[in-house]
Amino acid sequence: MAFFARAIRHSSPYLRWRAPPPPAVAASCRWISPTAAAGSPEAGAAVAPADPETLPPREPVGGARVELPSNPEDALEVFVDGHAVRIPKGFTVLQACEVAGVDIPRFCYHSRLSIAGNCRMCLVEVEKSPKPVASCAMPALPGMKIKTNTPVAKKAREGVMEFLLMNHPLDCPICDQGGECDLQDQSMAFGADRGRFTEMKRSVVDKNLGPLVKTVMTRCIQCTRCVRFATEVAGVQDLGMLGRGSGEEIGTYVEKLMTSELSGNVIDICPVGALTSKPFAFKARNWELKGTETIDVTDAVGSNIRVDSRGPEVMRIVPRLNEDINEEWISDKTRFCYDGLKRQRLNDPMIRGSDGRFKAVTWRDALTVVAEVLQQVKPEEITGVAGKLSDAESLMALKDFVNKMGSDKVLCEGNGPNPPADLRSNYLMNTSIAGLEKADVFLLVGTQPRVEAAMVNARIRKTVRATQAKVAYIGPPAEFNYDHEHLGTGPQTLVEIAEGRHPFCSTLQSAKNPVIIAGAGLFDREDQDALFSTIETVAKKFNVVRPDWNGLNVLLLHAAQAAALDLGLVANPTESIKSAKFLYLMGADDVDLDKVPDDAFVVYQGHHGDKAVYRANVILPSSAFSEKEGTYENTEGCTQWTIPAVPTVGDARDDWKILRALSEVAGAQLPYDSLSGVRDRISMVAPNLVHVDEREPCTISSEVKPPVKQQVSSTPFKAVVENFYMTDAITRASKIMGQCSATLLKK
Amino acid sequence: MAAVVRGVLNGIREKGLSNFLRHARDEGYFKCLLDGNLLQTKIHNIGATLVGVDKFGNKYYEKLHDTQYGRHRWVEYAEKGRYNASQVPPEWHGWLHHITDSTGDKASFLLCVGCSCYDAIMVEHRPGFQKLLALPLLLEQNAKAYIVDHKENFSGEGEELIYHSKGHALNPGQRDWTRYQPWEPKKEEAT
Amino acid sequence: MLPPAARLAARRLLGLATSSASESAAARRLSRSPISYAAAGCSSRLFSTALNYHLDSPENNPDMPWEFTEANMKKVNEILSHYPSNYRQSGIIPMLDLAQQQHGGWVPVAAMNAIAKIVGVAPIRVYEVATFYTMFNRTKVGKYHLLVCGTTPCMIRGSREIEEALLEHLGVKRNEVTSDGLFSVGEMECMGCCVNAPMIAVADYSKGSEGYTYNYYEDLTPKRVVEIVEMLKRGETPPRGTQHPERKNCGPAGGNTTLHGEPKPPPCRDLDAC
Repeated sequence: MAFFARAIRHSSPYLRWRAPPPPAVAASCRWISPTAAAGSPEAGAAVAPADPETLPPREPVGGARVELPSNPEDALEVFVDGHAVRIPKGFTVLQACEVAGVDIPRFCYHSRLSIAGNCRMCLVEVEKSPKPVASCAMPALPGMKIKTNTPVAKKAREGVMEFLLMNHPLDCPICDQGGECDLQDQSMAFGADRGRFTEMKRSVVDKNLGPLVKTVMTRCIQCTRCVRFATEVAGVQDLGMLGRGSGEEIGTYVEKLMTSELSGNVIDICPVGALTSKPFAFKARNWELKGTETIDVTDAVGSNIRVDSRGPEVMRIVPRLNEDINEEWISDKTRFCYDGLKRQRLNDPMIRGSDGRFKAVTWRDALTVVAEVLQQVKPEEITGVAGKLSDAESLMALKDFVNKMGSDKVLCEGNGPNPPADLRSNYLMNTSIAGLEKADVFLLVGTQPRVEAAMVNARIRKTVRATQAKVAYIGPPAEFNYDHEHLGTGPQTLVEIAEGRHPFCSTLQSAKNPVIIAGAGLFDREDQDALFSTIETVAKKFNVVRPDWNGLNVLLLHAAQAAALDLGLVANPTESIKSAKFLYLMGADDVDLDKVPDDAFVVYQGHHGDKAVYRANVILPSSAFSEKEGTYENTEGCTQWTIPAVPTVGDARDDWKILRALSEVAGAQLPYDSLSGVRDRISMVAPNLVHVDEREPCTISSEVKPPVKQQVSSTPFKAVVENFYMTDAITRASKIMGQCSATLLKK
Repeated sequence: MAAVVRGVLNGIREKGLSNFLRHARDEGYFKCLLDGNLLQTKIHNIGATLVGVDKFGNKYYEKLHDTQYGRHRWVEYAEKGRYNASQVPPEWHGWLHHITDSTGDKASFLLCVGCSCYDAIMVEHRPGFQKLLALPLLLEQNAKAYIVDHKENFSGEGEELIYHSKGHALNPGQRDWTRYQPWEPKKEEAT
Repeated sequence: MLPPAARLAARRLLGLATSSASESAAARRLSRSPISYAAAGCSSRLFSTALNYHLDSPENNPDMPWEFTEANMKKVNEILSHYPSNYRQSGIIPMLDLAQQQHGGWVPVAAMNAIAKIVGVAPIRVYEVATFYTMFNRTKVGKYHLLVCGTTPCMIRGSREIEEALLEHLGVKRNEVTSDGLFSVGEMECMGCCVNAPMIAVADYSKGSEGYTYNYYEDLTPKRVVEIVEMLKRGETPPRGTQHPERKNCGPAGGNTTLHGEPKPPPCRDLDAC
């Protein structure tokens, strides 16, 4: 009893303080309310006379963590609504308020873009300042007394809001941003309840920015977020602010499409409905959608996304914040490939009859046919090829199944004849994507990150912009959106650097944190071993790998690649396919089908009728990444899960389940029949694949490699990705991606 | 009650029985017996002020005393059998729903500046200057030109007038609700 | 190409900008009603000679070759030498001005591209500057571009009559070029000559960037402004500044009315005392 009483006494000041408890959502998402997140204005007024020092600190907005510098002199104290907060030097008033748990309304301010200070929505009152100050552009000074809910601040916001709404059309009912519009939310929270504007509103001609971004420029409030995004993050200086005064508008002046691979992100950063998604236009309202937090598999980055679905249909894909991988951007391919999930789907098992036509059959019949053929071929004639979108579970099941049938010819497409699968450090991005920001010199060998991994490219661009890091590139002529030095097109240049004969060596020599990124396209070359050993020589020579810094990276191309290498799907594709009598293609559409022997029996298991179905004898429909639970490892070795967002189509089943069923019919039953069973099996082979959302760094150094006797050939490097918008079965089925490649790439 | 009986007797005396009965039928007194809503309206009407009658014959009543505030305005529809709220024309809608106090007889339209009718009232005066002549007078004169006559909602009146949402069994539109397009093996033969 | 809707909007906007000055008396009278001034606000963009976006035309398109003349290239280098090498974009405004003088009073989009190339920024950054400043003409103007001041003091002193006289005499609408390509009339905001209102500024592009002048003609009457136009047409140079016969510069007409003798020292201070 005494304990209880003490507990109450102890917690009572806390309880009193939390009397109006902050809404639970405040911690998880940004919620706008006219008052501060914690405490009503009355509460603020009530505590005003009290000594501010005694006020307990409040939670920062969104549960953000603020790291104070180790040197106490680099921190300063300000008072937000009477609450003392300690912040690092260089924070703006707005950031200080966020640390203090007060969410300041804003339109033009975006934490990842430069500060413009032109919307004036973030006005707050600062003691001893004659006017309200724009908090986003005002650096916080020691002892500053910031007031965010005084009549002056409220009046200022209301006035700004009235001006913003003056020229804003009242077309919320037909606006796609409706329901997720900053202007809508903030005018409800901070605006006046009536307008005084009776004059005519201005109108602005819409711009044509291409097949992805729809513009309704009359709705624009000139926050210039899109201009800054295009200039700073996307690196295409196409958008600008034209005209002046009330005639001011965002545009390109000369008719021009937005040709960035990140252009879709302007849809997210636009606080109003001026820039919206063209494919999503008038398709759904955001409150009808169910969001599923999953990951993207169209490239090896594994961008974190939210799949918004309505019923059985994926309606759109939006990014999810992950500071280590994609920050809050995603590439256009990730964002707009979703209509590919609804087209060209395989929904029934099919068997090619004697007349060469496909006939839909039941699963039982299809599996029996496959099993019969399996009994007839010799074990070494069985080959399994995994596709670039396969998850680790199905890779594991395929490998186990093929091995159990007595063959070791199991591989994953894109890994080349002899991938360096012995050590994880040989095929991963060891620096980690976020770690690239610490680099000061980049050497890109045979890789074009802009088309191979747009998010990695965005990181490199961010680093180049922030620290003037130097980028050198060896490979075919390519487009970059940052300053770079094109050293050469072939391995010869690499050898020159390794031997110290190249002028770029001096730059590498003086670099503090040099980074070498080798493309996964090198895996397909004959002289792959020699190339990688040359790259290692360069790394050794210029101190790229140190105990405190590992700058030797491989940039993978496909979502399945890292897991496949982890699990050991490393057979030689040319030999395996040439000698196959029974070829099991698990979503593998980019294998060289001409090499498949004419008498081979081909089973295609996949979700899209893409390239390989036309050679298949049996089609087994499987589910796409949006419909299954699967483990993927991205290029930096971070394991992530996809979560099913929509039910799968027709009779399709998960990849690993099909293999499990087939193994039973074929008489070589796999020893697991649940997802956790597969994962247990995976943990025996590659334990890192069960540690989800963790990046497992590689510990063993590459020193233990055997010497390479191969010679570097003089063949120049090739571009690996020909069409950024169409790299796999899903994106090839997508109409939007087709439009993109037609209009933006002129293909 | 006595007053009602007296009223009935007065009516019979003035009009004669057959005329009175016809009048009672037109006014829906017989329907009252089966229709509780109408009966209630009729009971309400006792002692209420008849504020106006619109062009369709709907009667608008108001009773300021002995009525709960907010329920002091109501309509007795001209149509006694199939009455519904859409039979109230827009000029009376505002009064009936307490949006305005001006009755339908006096209602005038205040049209928003910025709608499509705006073009009609702009006159160019000097180069570069658009002059606004949006005077209420002008609007009232022109209002009749483009305001459509009120029509009640005919849902349920006939097949062509009924709205069926998409997917409704009677909507002739979309039938296939497959949300994906399956791969067609037929295309394969061509290649 | 722009979508048809955009083209329609553009045409409509241009049509409004250059609508006829001859208007019925009734409309003019009505325009004096208080509402008219509210509506005038939406015409602010019309002070600039063009839209905020570019429409390709045979004489103005990005594929057109355009570069500075050799003499002007020297000036460009001189302009750029004023700024540190990492702030070359500061030279955009003077270079646009130079390009405008060279190109007969207006800057085609090709010239903006050329400037962007010289300065080393994306073309859009030059477009931003060129669209912001209304003195950069982005459509064709006459060799003599006449800019009528439309700000309050001049307007009170009759700048509208001046403009009407000009437009009527030249037979053009505002921002339209006469058929001989000699004149165009535009409107400008206060040019700081309020003391001699009303005034016009004449930008003379007839002699290229070497002989470029930008003269003010003040104290105008509708009659005098027509005379000035006629003189310009004949190739003469009218005396710049005030056109009032009795006024000298911006002094009072008919000589000083005050300050006849030596100015008296300020009464409040006894300079000898200190």
